[in-house]
Amino acid sequence: MIEVVDLWKSFGAHDVLKGINIAIPQGETFVVLGGSGSGKTVLMKHVIGLLKPDRGAIKVDGVEISSLTGRALTEARQRFGMVFQGAALFDSMTVFDNVAFPLRERRGKRLAAADVRQRVIEKLKVVDLGEEVLGRWPSELSGGMRKRVALARALVSDPQIVLYDEPTTGLDPITTEYVDEMIVHARERLGITSMVISHDIASAFRVADRVGVLYDGHLAAVGTPAEVRASPDPFVQRFLSTWFSKQ
Amino acid sequence: MKKLRAALEDFGQMLFFAAETVAWAFRPPFRPDQILAQMAFIGAGSAFIVGVTGTFAGMVFGLQMNYAMKQFAAEGYVGGSTAFALSRELAPVFTALMVTGRAGSAIATELGTMRVTEQIDAMESMAVSPIQYLVVPRVIAAVLMFPVLTMLFNTLGYGGAYLMGVYVAGIPVGPFVGHTREFLQMSDILHGLMKAIVFGALVAIITTWRGYSATGGARGVGEGTTRAVVASSIAILLADYAATVLSVGS
Repeated sequence: MIEVVDLWKSFGAHDVLKGINIAIPQGETFVVLGGSGSGKTVLMKHVIGLLKPDRGAIKVDGVEISSLTGRALTEARQRFGMVFQGAALFDSMTVFDNVAFPLRERRGKRLAAADVRQRVIEKLKVVDLGEEVLGRWPSELSGGMRKRVALARALVSDPQIVLYDEPTTGLDPITTEYVDEMIVHARERLGITSMVISHDIASAFRVADRVGVLYDGHLAAVGTPAEVRASPDPFVQRFLSTWFSKQ
Repeated sequence: MKKLRAALEDFGQMLFFAAETVAWAFRPPFRPDQILAQMAFIGAGSAFIVGVTGTFAGMVFGLQMNYAMKQFAAEGYVGGSTAFALSRELAPVFTALMVTGRAGSAIATELGTMRVTEQIDAMESMAVSPIQYLVVPRVIAAVLMFPVLTMLFNTLGYGGAYLMGVYVAGIPVGPFVGHTREFLQMSDILHGLMKAIVFGALVAIITTWRGYSATGGARGVGEGTTRAVVASSIAILLADYAATVLSVGS
């Protein structure tokens, strides 16, 4: 279970998060919707301990991530997988080395090279990529393929929690639908707890168990997709109408 | 005032970064493959430019010394004085400046690009310390390779001076080499190599820090690289002055 408790964060004079509270039970997919610059990525980086809050706490299964440092934080992060907005593939490594990276660097018992290769191929298959991409460099991949490789890398060490930062931004509709299916698949088949940051309303409503709409540092609405759609909050109505009015 | 405060804050953060790097260097897993790759990049990759600079610096210095010594009919001392200047000053300082331009700028750019494209965040999210994975191998490689490159500079520089002194200026081999043996002590070479180790650590820490702390997009990376090269060059000159004052007095 992920708990965000009264989270505050500012950069200089700019207050980005002003008392965020979220509880995500195990196995749930929670989508944080919001406009550009609303602090969605800042919120996600707090969950995995890449940023420290000014006030408040992040707890994962009761362990306060926000107060951990050094080895304890490193160990806590081993339970996470994260898909970054721009995929964040290591451009000095091939696709194979990118996906194998979390396995090779994992603490504890080392996997044999053959097992690493098998796991990499297996996860690439899950995201519909074949062995022909193993030797390619990230610069040789399309945007959609990069996102899928990033997803394979996030899932390769079988994490309990996966964080997705704008997973469908810049993708064509077919690839977007494919990535959405992957997120649903990760929850249904692997029981993964997911937090998705997005401004893509259609995609959010497809994958979410619950949705939170972030506006001006607060969550303007939280609930199931149907509950959020019925929210009386003026910003939520205006934000959602940009998509629903087209339907 | 605001700029001074920001600069001091940045300097303080860099000191913490350096301390963290030292702490991570002694924690497993150790990464010999990464260290070797960086040694190849910083060392073997810079050998050509350091070799060319060393040869020409030695040739020019040999000719200049010959011109100066001729005034006192002391051309025989050209070899000794060139070797002395090379090993204590020219080789460590020129090598460090050349490697800063070639490898230091590349390090700052690579890490800066990794920072702004979230590759460093990705590494951290996978429970891998970017300082241990990216910074420590570069610092160790620089500390090991700067003295090696300095010796290459020394050797080729002396070769260049020999070429000019003996074959162009016509100084007899005997006095040229004899006075070198007389002038040059092992402590002079070691003094230069110690400087090279210090310069290697300074350049590696400054350039990795500037990349690691880069912000913004391509412009931020570019600014970080420029600052890395400027700060490293100034640090080399300041450290050289301090080391010289400490060793020979003011």
